[in-house]
Amino acid sequence: MSDHLDRGKSLRIGVDTGGTFTDISLYDPATEELHVWKVSSTTADPSEAIADGVKDGLDAYGHDAGDVVYFGHGTTVATNALIQGRIARTGMITTAGFRDVIEIRRQMRPELYDLQMEKPEVLARRDRRHEVRERVNFDGSIRVPISEEEVREVIARLKDQKVEAIAIGFLFAYLMPEHEALVKRLVAEEMPEVFVCTSAEVAPEYREFERFSTTVVNAALGPVMQGYLDRLKPRLEAHGISPRPHLTQSNGGVISAQEAANFPVRTVLSGPAAGVAGALEIGRAAGIEDIITFDMGGTSSDVALIDKGRPQLATDAEVHGHPIKVPMLDIHAVGAGGGSIANVDGGGHLKVGPDSAGAVPGPVCYGKGNEQPTVTDANVVLQVLNPTHLLGGRMEIDQQKAKAAIARLADRLGLGVMETAQGIISVVTANMAKAIRVISVERGYDPRDYVLMAFGGAGPVHAARLARELEIRRVLVPRNPGILCSMGLLLTDLKAYFSAGRMTPLRPESAASVQNDFSGLQRQADDWFDREGIVAADRSVTRTADLRYHGQAFELSVDCPEGEVDERFLDELRSRFEAAHRQVYGYISSDEAISIIALRLVATGRVPKARLKIHPPATGPVSDAVIGSRYVWLPEAGSFVACPLYDRAKLAPGHVVPGPAIVEQMDSTTLVLPGQSATVDAVLNLLLEEND
Amino acid sequence: MSDSTMLWPGNAGIDSITVEVIGSALSTIVDQMGKALIRAAYSANIKERRDCSAAIFDTEGYIIAQAQQIPFHLGSLLDITKETLRRVDISTLREGDVFIGNDAYNGGSTHLNDIVFLEPVFQGGRIVAWVANIAHHSDFVDRGHAHIFQEGLRIPPVRLYRSGELQQDVMDLVLLNCQVPHERINDFRAQMAANRLGVQRYQALCVRYGIDTIATASDMLMDYSERKARAGIRRIPDGRYSFQHDFDTSLWPDILSLAVAVEVRDDELWFDFEGCPPQTRSGLNMVFTMLQACVYYVVKTLIDADTPANAGFHRPIHISAPLGSIVNSVAPAAVYSRHDVGQRLIDMMLAAFSQAIPDRVPAGSTGVTVMTMSGVHPGTGRFNVYNESMGGGMGARLTLDGVDGIHVHGTNSANIPVEALESEHPLTVDAYELIQDSGGAGKFRGGMAIRRRLSPVGHEATVNLGGPLNRVPAWGLDGGLPGGLARIELGEGVRPLSGRNGILAAGQMAAAVTSGGGGFGNPKERDRELVRRDLQEGRISDKVAREIYGLD
Repeated sequence: MSDHLDRGKSLRIGVDTGGTFTDISLYDPATEELHVWKVSSTTADPSEAIADGVKDGLDAYGHDAGDVVYFGHGTTVATNALIQGRIARTGMITTAGFRDVIEIRRQMRPELYDLQMEKPEVLARRDRRHEVRERVNFDGSIRVPISEEEVREVIARLKDQKVEAIAIGFLFAYLMPEHEALVKRLVAEEMPEVFVCTSAEVAPEYREFERFSTTVVNAALGPVMQGYLDRLKPRLEAHGISPRPHLTQSNGGVISAQEAANFPVRTVLSGPAAGVAGALEIGRAAGIEDIITFDMGGTSSDVALIDKGRPQLATDAEVHGHPIKVPMLDIHAVGAGGGSIANVDGGGHLKVGPDSAGAVPGPVCYGKGNEQPTVTDANVVLQVLNPTHLLGGRMEIDQQKAKAAIARLADRLGLGVMETAQGIISVVTANMAKAIRVISVERGYDPRDYVLMAFGGAGPVHAARLARELEIRRVLVPRNPGILCSMGLLLTDLKAYFSAGRMTPLRPESAASVQNDFSGLQRQADDWFDREGIVAADRSVTRTADLRYHGQAFELSVDCPEGEVDERFLDELRSRFEAAHRQVYGYISSDEAISIIALRLVATGRVPKARLKIHPPATGPVSDAVIGSRYVWLPEAGSFVACPLYDRAKLAPGHVVPGPAIVEQMDSTTLVLPGQSATVDAVLNLLLEEND
Repeated sequence: MSDSTMLWPGNAGIDSITVEVIGSALSTIVDQMGKALIRAAYSANIKERRDCSAAIFDTEGYIIAQAQQIPFHLGSLLDITKETLRRVDISTLREGDVFIGNDAYNGGSTHLNDIVFLEPVFQGGRIVAWVANIAHHSDFVDRGHAHIFQEGLRIPPVRLYRSGELQQDVMDLVLLNCQVPHERINDFRAQMAANRLGVQRYQALCVRYGIDTIATASDMLMDYSERKARAGIRRIPDGRYSFQHDFDTSLWPDILSLAVAVEVRDDELWFDFEGCPPQTRSGLNMVFTMLQACVYYVVKTLIDADTPANAGFHRPIHISAPLGSIVNSVAPAAVYSRHDVGQRLIDMMLAAFSQAIPDRVPAGSTGVTVMTMSGVHPGTGRFNVYNESMGGGMGARLTLDGVDGIHVHGTNSANIPVEALESEHPLTVDAYELIQDSGGAGKFRGGMAIRRRLSPVGHEATVNLGGPLNRVPAWGLDGGLPGGLARIELGEGVRPLSGRNGILAAGQMAAAVTSGGGGFGNPKERDRELVRRDLQEGRISDKVAREIYGLD
């Protein structure tokens, strides 16, 4: 890190796009000033809101676009495309005899006892999956050579079918990628406008179904992501912002826009992963290591578990039923957001979500034409949310419209308006609690041992009730809950992940080849550091190896010792593997051979990070922060109860807000329930705790 | 009041949330036991096909949690703890004792390949629970099936470990009877690991909540399952429903006529298998626990898939089957291919229920086609066994097509990825595909069958290949047509199989063609758009589109 920084000359920007809002943060390392703001998302082309929002903010805070040196980006473009099925018309070229591998999957059914279950639809239709004769053996040798002529015939058919993307997946391509590479070259020649990717590039691991699935998802997303980035770059440049965007990938690392365009499948959890990274840093600053993150936006809620400071990685990651073989955090999403629409189902039960009113038209109370009541409308009617305006006065709210919409729903249910509004909250809370049980209870963690960290615009509104439903006693609401994901982009170092997969026996003769592989990874890391402009002092790498007994199918990952790879290094690796195996399975097999399956290197580039400012303790009483009071419907009382209204900006370390209370701020609203108190800590987090 | 509140009547000293948390923790433990087993195992049948299950039992031997993997295994573990408790003097049990067993007539499992590891959990100096796991071992191949003595080593529950000490002599005896001992020993280690994990996790749960709280919660979970089962049964109209089916399989020369009747009375079910043929001199027979597994599977699909898999669920279900029949065999009847009959029985029970609840039941589905190849690996010189079971087409539903190319009902084992298969076995896979026109036509189409073609590399292999539904197809419902028949395809120069057995020289090919699912409703009423799409995607031929579906 350079020690000499001029004010405003090395600005860092983080942008997180959600379905409803685009959140932007700006950090100036010279002054350690952090600014955050949000704008409505432009769903049709998210890059529009980004570029304009960034520009407006820079102007508002008196900064020059030319001084931006870093642009970090978390995006839901890939995820939304998959959810909404707005994907490219995708074809596939595969080994003769195997076009149905991707459809038969592992021949297992997803639900064991559900006679109405279905397989997720394959993203490349059967008639767009074409076979060519070619075959590679298990040792990488060629059994059936590929014919260029035949490939060109297949490409001609795909051309007739007007596909926009092509996935190439051949058996054993992770060992012998040349056949796939040849097809890719020919596709590029014949159909230069088409997005094309190979299984060996996207997910170079054995097990053909999982590799092909990842490749097809990548292809289906390719044109979507490419189009998006192609629009984003010129828009930013038009405003004078020149650094290439960096995108958060699903494991929390950062990749270049080019890499994201080539491998969009790595970004399916981009936005949420940035949120988890942000939560981790906030937690670290607050001395909290066991966290359940609860990120509730307009469309959905994302939840994840951080145990002892380590976010959990997903082992069998699937996105919308498609296995994805790229490293991902274990983040679970549920269609429960502020914009989730409440309805009555066929059985007469109240249902909330997954349909969402999104940013446009948004909840009924926005007055932009939606007539179906949403979660936000319920909160406006209950007056948990401000009944006249939101976003610090920047958005007018029409409570009467919201009330009328809920009254219509109440009629159908035969309930009162307030009961119906509260019912919407109860249903959505139950949906979110279920999502948290998936990542905690179902994985063997008791949610009661964790702090619920609530963020996203709607998180703090619902956190207290959600925590009670799960018997979680502490809730942490960060200072800027509405823009935590975009802040996460500025709170973390740059991380890139490199790996080499090659099965090598763990024995002294392998030292040279392991050293060689690690040297290759180190070179890739050095190139990356160079591209990122990270100076030597700020570079660090950690090396790990995935090992297993030769006959097993699943690896254990262990940290590698420092230094050159020699016999001592490999001995140490063996004993670390044995220790890990003993810990996980309770035994070792000293008579069995061990294989190295993959070598990995994580490169961390230290960058100027936004730091959470320590604030001086409060000088006045908490009552100084009270800006009024509002009647809020509390089911505990069965009536409207006058609740004091606090201005978050006026709360200082040491202040204690007794519930019931409402804490308002520009980007969110926090509800403190009767029986709870909220304490302000040194970095201005609100910590809600049960009184008893 | 929500549905779940009603199902949780208060119990002194323990709240419903604690019960739920403990219930989830128990199912997490069995789930993790299953995962540890898969991750540590050596043989493809366990690590890739996941043909294994895990369970926790209370001190009386009732299942309180079971990993949801293979429904047939619901039966394989039913009696193991109770049988062990009958056999041993409980005062001789020590922490670290581990039983191994597999005999279908001695509590073990439902066929000899399923080897169980069972271990008591001690806490505070006494047994508080039992953990067990079962794995199908690809071994005991190329055998006769006239009676169970031909089918492999029979192991009653015996101690493989005493106080944590391996009984090497017992292990030596078992391994000497295995054809692939190197795989067995390493799979056994994985099974030990799974149980050890279960023991530790259960003990940790005891420390956290107290032994008595967990015991009470376990009882409440069983009561809860029972209430859910009864509530579900009550939603099925009372009456007696029956179904008869001419069952054919390549293991038996004649058609076997199977019969099932089910009586729904308020909140209880009475299954009656009177009329099923006597046990056979073949591997087709089922022991009673296997029949129980089939029945429990059916009931679970019809009432509530989310009901915890524990013994409480079994209480309102009554089963009667003639002793010594093919569905309730007595020793020494052979049982290796019990899934052949099991899959058909499940389909038949569903068909009987379709008379009462047609909207919830699919048409007839595929069975299980099995393929085993064994021989001396040309690379290692060791004896090699490859084993796989193949699914096919699921029957169509009232408003949905049947699922194409999938394992149905009693089994759910995965395929072996070609890239794993060819790396470990001296075999090549030459095709793996769905079969045109194999899905029974209907307003909703039955699922498509699978073709999987293999040949041995560099050695001569003994092959065992086949399944049911070769002559009598899976039925359609409500005017839907039956699914495609199963068959075997043999490459040039291969001598016809005798029953399921034959020899393949290096490079010679054999393929399994499995069966398709039956259709639902009149094919002429199928949405024209769907017919056109099926045609376009090659799922049906031109001829079928025109002649059966009437597409112009």
